[in-house]
Amino acid sequence: MLTKRLTYAVGALAFLAGVWGIYTRLFVGERDVNYGSYVVWGLWVAMYLFFAGAATGSYMFATMEYLFNIKLFKGTGKAALWCALITMPAALATIGMDLGHMERIVKVYLEPNPFSLLAQMVWGYTSFIAVILVTMWLVYKKPETKLTKWALSIGLFVSIFLSGGVGALLGVNASRAYWHVGLLPVQFPIFSMATGFALLMIVLAWFAPKDENRPEQLRVIGMAVVVLLLVKTYFVWSDFSQSMYAGVPQNVEAVKSVLFGPYSWQFWAVQIGLGTLIPILVLTQRKLAGSAAWAGWMGLFVLIGFAIARTNIVFPALVIPELEGLATAFTGPHLSFDYSPSLLELSVVSGVVGGTIIALLLGLDFKRLNIFTSESEVK
Amino acid sequence: MAQEPKDVLVRMHEDLQRALEKAPEDRRWVMVIDLRKCVGCHACTIACVAENKLPPGVVYRPVMEREIGTYPNVTRQFIPRPCMQCDNPPCTPVCPVNATYANAEGVVVVDYEQCIGCRACIVACPYGARTADFGYTYTEELPVLEGAIVGRETADDYERAPNFEYGQEWPRENHRSSPIGNARKCHFCLHRIHEGELPACVTTCIGRATLYGDANDPDSLVTELIKQTNAIRLKEELGTEPKVYYLV
Repeated sequence: MLTKRLTYAVGALAFLAGVWGIYTRLFVGERDVNYGSYVVWGLWVAMYLFFAGAATGSYMFATMEYLFNIKLFKGTGKAALWCALITMPAALATIGMDLGHMERIVKVYLEPNPFSLLAQMVWGYTSFIAVILVTMWLVYKKPETKLTKWALSIGLFVSIFLSGGVGALLGVNASRAYWHVGLLPVQFPIFSMATGFALLMIVLAWFAPKDENRPEQLRVIGMAVVVLLLVKTYFVWSDFSQSMYAGVPQNVEAVKSVLFGPYSWQFWAVQIGLGTLIPILVLTQRKLAGSAAWAGWMGLFVLIGFAIARTNIVFPALVIPELEGLATAFTGPHLSFDYSPSLLELSVVSGVVGGTIIALLLGLDFKRLNIFTSESEVK
Repeated sequence: MAQEPKDVLVRMHEDLQRALEKAPEDRRWVMVIDLRKCVGCHACTIACVAENKLPPGVVYRPVMEREIGTYPNVTRQFIPRPCMQCDNPPCTPVCPVNATYANAEGVVVVDYEQCIGCRACIVACPYGARTADFGYTYTEELPVLEGAIVGRETADDYERAPNFEYGQEWPRENHRSSPIGNARKCHFCLHRIHEGELPACVTTCIGRATLYGDANDPDSLVTELIKQTNAIRLKEELGTEPKVYYLV
């Protein structure tokens, strides 16, 4: 109970810290951001990737109960669907803030370019929200029917496809050697699954009622997270080692900026240390992995690690000039190849994170949703 | 008696008039930049800023500089970089709302009223040829002086008055007025071309290093130049087929 209250307080504080940023962005404009014409996308795009990953990953988690009928996870599916429903709008809020003309977003529906991956993603996310809502309605009303299984099968496909699609959104840019690798659309579903599982680990460890299955559930989720972290680390290794070996200058510079440059502290200390090594060490200890307190913290560390991992994908590709001499050819606001998020960008993200935390907890507490009540108890 | 050679500006004007008599889809606008003649004066950059009333942070034609060699065997090289107006532009298919496309003449344009400001086109361009308009004015930091003939308010009025890109008026009224919030780029001064004038960067170049014309016209200056063996294009390996050629 104390944990939940503290989390509400953290959410409220984070949201308050975001009010200034959200107001400024909506009513003053984009001038106080640090991204620009050279580092074109920044923290908001990275957080969009993170939240979208959390949403699709949470949906994947829900299929364990409702599609694959894994007994151990009975009673966890609704929480997973609720996480997906809350984190998806968070993704759209952060990417919406990034648009120079957010009031024109309706054009993507009315006058889309169907060959643009970005348009496909907007349509995909809209469909995904609809799929989550339909799935939720079905699991409440007709949990054991074929229709529900069909809905979840479609939802699982959409969540994997959307995760990979976001990777392709970056990967198709031949202009950015760091992104232009076939691995990105393969990596991203793994990233999403790990993010979703880590989020559910927190929810089940800290906010779910006590249950005799809980320690075992946490151990199994912990093991899954460990495997996903190892796979992710293997992807990072294969990506970086090939890039360094091949020696294409634009790619090598980008990788160096992560390993030894301005983003090295967040790569080594947060992504690898806090977000990968510590969770692997803890979650492979059977006793610790089954402890709600430890599992919750490890889930949080993994989430932070993946948020930083997303920034380490977005920023480095853009801080390397496309042409030699471009960086100094003309000066002006937002014409820089150095990037770290501005106060405005951090404030907006804080607001979105705070709002997401509060919405998530309100849903878990909302009795009519019966998120942690099994179907038999409802009847 | 041998005929005196024409100034290239005169010849390009004549080329331009011939091209404008053709249907738009029969023209192939090409820019040729003779790097041997470029002295790095940046007059083209400034002419472009003035012509299109570009605000701070928006640039269509920067001149990149690099130093080659070590002292005393050292030289500086200047490379003006307009939009390459690619035949196979990577910036257009990524646009979610078809706000940027190659027009009938093959010039890549931006529909400011359609653009949602996602900047995907800026990411996709391998030449860094697009910039985003964040809504600045050059005069906003100036003091407001009472009785001054030219203070911030007067200058600000000028900056907020419309420019005429794409033959339309684009006033800068608030942070939602396009092209604020949009991606912007060089459009070969289409508004000038259609009035029979050469692009601002071409007429301003003090070394006659920037040349322009219709490459579908066998008699045009640019057709003559791009056939030369010293004509190169940037990043050809990406398959973008730029319409800007450099003479090296």
